[in-house]
Amino acid sequence: MNSISLYVERNSFVHDIDPITKLIYIVFAILIPIILPSFTISFICVGISLVLLAFAKVLRKTVPVFSFVFLILITVIIIQGLFKPENETILFQIGPITMYQEGLLFALTITLRVINIVSAFMILVLTTKPSELVESLVRKGLSPRIGYMIVSVFQIIPEMMAAVSTITDAQRARGMETEGNFFVRVKAFLPLIGPVVLGSLINTKERAMALEVRGFNSRVPKTYLYEEKTYAHSKLIQSLLLLGIAGAIVWRIVS
Amino acid sequence: MKKLAVEGLKYKYPQSESLALDNISFTVNEGEFIGIIGRNSAGKSTLCQALVGLVPHFYKGAYGGKVLVDGLEVKTHSIADIALKVGMVFQNPFTQVTGSKMSVYEEIAFGLENIGVPRSEMVQRIDEVLKMFKIEHVKDHNPFDLSGGQMQRMAIASIIAMRPEIIVLDEPTSQLDPGGSEEVFQAVQSLKKQGITIIMAEHKMEKLAQYCDRILLLDNGKAVDYDTPEKIFSRDDLESYGVAAPVYTKVCKALGAKKQGTNTYPVTLEEAEAVLKEIRR
Amino acid sequence: MINVKNLSFSYKKTEGARVLSDIHLEFDQRSTAIIGQNGAGKTTFVKLLKGLLKPDIGQITIKGQDIKGKTAAELARTIGLIFQNPNDQIFKRTVLDEVMFGPLNIQMEKSAAKEKAIEALKMAGLDHHLDTNPHDLSLSEKKLLCMASVMAMETDIIIFDEPTIAQDNQGKEKIKQIIQTLKDKGKLVMTIIHDMDFVAENFERTIVFNEGKVLADGPTREVFSQKQALLQANVEAPYITQLADKLGFAGTVLSIGEFIDKVDANK
Repeated sequence: MNSISLYVERNSFVHDIDPITKLIYIVFAILIPIILPSFTISFICVGISLVLLAFAKVLRKTVPVFSFVFLILITVIIIQGLFKPENETILFQIGPITMYQEGLLFALTITLRVINIVSAFMILVLTTKPSELVESLVRKGLSPRIGYMIVSVFQIIPEMMAAVSTITDAQRARGMETEGNFFVRVKAFLPLIGPVVLGSLINTKERAMALEVRGFNSRVPKTYLYEEKTYAHSKLIQSLLLLGIAGAIVWRIVS
Repeated sequence: MKKLAVEGLKYKYPQSESLALDNISFTVNEGEFIGIIGRNSAGKSTLCQALVGLVPHFYKGAYGGKVLVDGLEVKTHSIADIALKVGMVFQNPFTQVTGSKMSVYEEIAFGLENIGVPRSEMVQRIDEVLKMFKIEHVKDHNPFDLSGGQMQRMAIASIIAMRPEIIVLDEPTSQLDPGGSEEVFQAVQSLKKQGITIIMAEHKMEKLAQYCDRILLLDNGKAVDYDTPEKIFSRDDLESYGVAAPVYTKVCKALGAKKQGTNTYPVTLEEAEAVLKEIRR
Repeated sequence: MINVKNLSFSYKKTEGARVLSDIHLEFDQRSTAIIGQNGAGKTTFVKLLKGLLKPDIGQITIKGQDIKGKTAAELARTIGLIFQNPNDQIFKRTVLDEVMFGPLNIQMEKSAAKEKAIEALKMAGLDHHLDTNPHDLSLSEKKLLCMASVMAMETDIIIFDEPTIAQDNQGKEKIKQIIQTLKDKGKLVMTIIHDMDFVAENFERTIVFNEGKVLADGPTREVFSQKQALLQANVEAPYITQLADKLGFAGTVLSIGEFIDKVDANK
């Protein structure tokens, strides 16, 4: 069974850091370039994230994500560079196409921001098990029911995908065409989605009962199989990050 | 000692017009293995669910009478409280997997975390049930990657780790192949040896005849009979309740071969063999 | 009716582990049971016959025609396959509509489709439920409904996947009748099944699959006499056969009737 989580098992200090600290890092990486909007700061933030990803030995895993993000960003750069209303300064011309400086700079800012946010999130996603993240949130007071819903989605969605393929087979066995033009596919939609939805309703009811008899709604204080992940320098890193954000705000106001 | 007592239990699902359970009474002694049989829709699953409190707490609906598990009244306690006394295993191995745990080991921990078992004890209990149900070698696998038989044994292990004194199994082998069913029956037998009280709804009569102390025959929500496998399967009107006796009993009935000194027919392979050998002599 | 030559198949093209290898089988009109442990390749095999999967190597011909290049939907006129879990296919709001879905897919006239559907539902014992919502039926009734929905397509070949699972005694009797009726109509009935006593009573031919290969094949009586093969495939002989063996009866006994005859003959 494939899990849809992107977590990569590696041995690194980035993996050892607890999920809450990583969450605070994301906040830091998003806020700093907003508070201090300069190219240098943005570059530094992206740089830090990339270095951390490299230390976590997951840099290669970021390639597909980044290539997808770049694909979207390139269209942003082209559209803004060519058509932004404030465009004045001509940068270069290729035939009838004119690229302007204002649009390009604006697009680059957006690009940097997006890459910055994506890299910060990637540190969390690639080096933290979803279950671990949710568990630490539950310890911090998130309702175990909501926690369960979030984590189970990671496993139950692949299970539903498997169901879709069985259902497709069952309907094809009754002479339904699933391949062909748009109309054929539209016609096939209901016979496929109907059993998926009803099937998952039935499964959900059965699963809910199975959870109940395993004390899911017990009022006894919950215990945990694993000890809470603590990183020796968590407190220090967290304080530094928060201090950094505060410092940036002060800097912004003063200067 | 009475471990379980059902007194005049009546139950009607919401939006249903007829009683799913109609005035059922029976008691189970500590360490007994009880089989529940009857045609589909006779009320077997509903009764199983009433023993662990899913009826009425999960479904609501109209409820009358009493179910006492180890002295605890089901109606007035939460499912989580009852779960400490009596565990339940369902038909479908897939839908019993929580889907929130990445390994068999963690899956078994789920119930223990919920009922607040301290970590050191949790680890000890998990290791114990992994060994008991012979799933140690797959403890780090994803629960969804197991075979049906393994998955069902994991479900039993997850329940037994919570240390209930009674376990209810609702057709636990109906979706397994013969190898998988055998694994599950072996596992259930090892529970019996530990003195755990077992209630099992099942269609495989040959297996029930082999393992059960007593059998409860249900029809149309009513308890028709509650007796030893020999007595139940020797009934002449069994088929009218949609139940076929074990093949061994059928053949002995046809040959009029009763167990020596009794008025009942053999129900297992060994008994039938012994009785028929006697006759052929 | 069906000819399978040199058939091999694996799900992951890169890895060596073959699910089926080197299968040679011919099917005539005899009703056939396919038995073996889970993972032996039984379901994969019938999916290949049905065109839901394509063989890596080998050829399947049905009624003289190579099925290569035919979609499962095209094959739906010749070969019907009933899946194990009814919830994987039911989506219409009434029992009748659900059963008419298949016939309409293969371009049957609406009136003819309705007629065939009702006939099939009669066989399944559900003709008093025409306007019922399928989801109000019990699991065993839903399984019978799915059988009707394929039988209504009037294919010459019908394959069941675990028809007796979730059935009580009455359900099994119903399925027994259905199989007999289909046999009488001259159809090839094939089933994947774990219930050996049901096999012994209802199927003329039995094929044992083990680890992707055919381990034994022949008249049911002959197959259940091959103790070594059954052991290797981890399949138990029918209970009645076991009892007769214990008592040292000559030959292989397949039903209670046969058992009693043997006892009487010995008297």
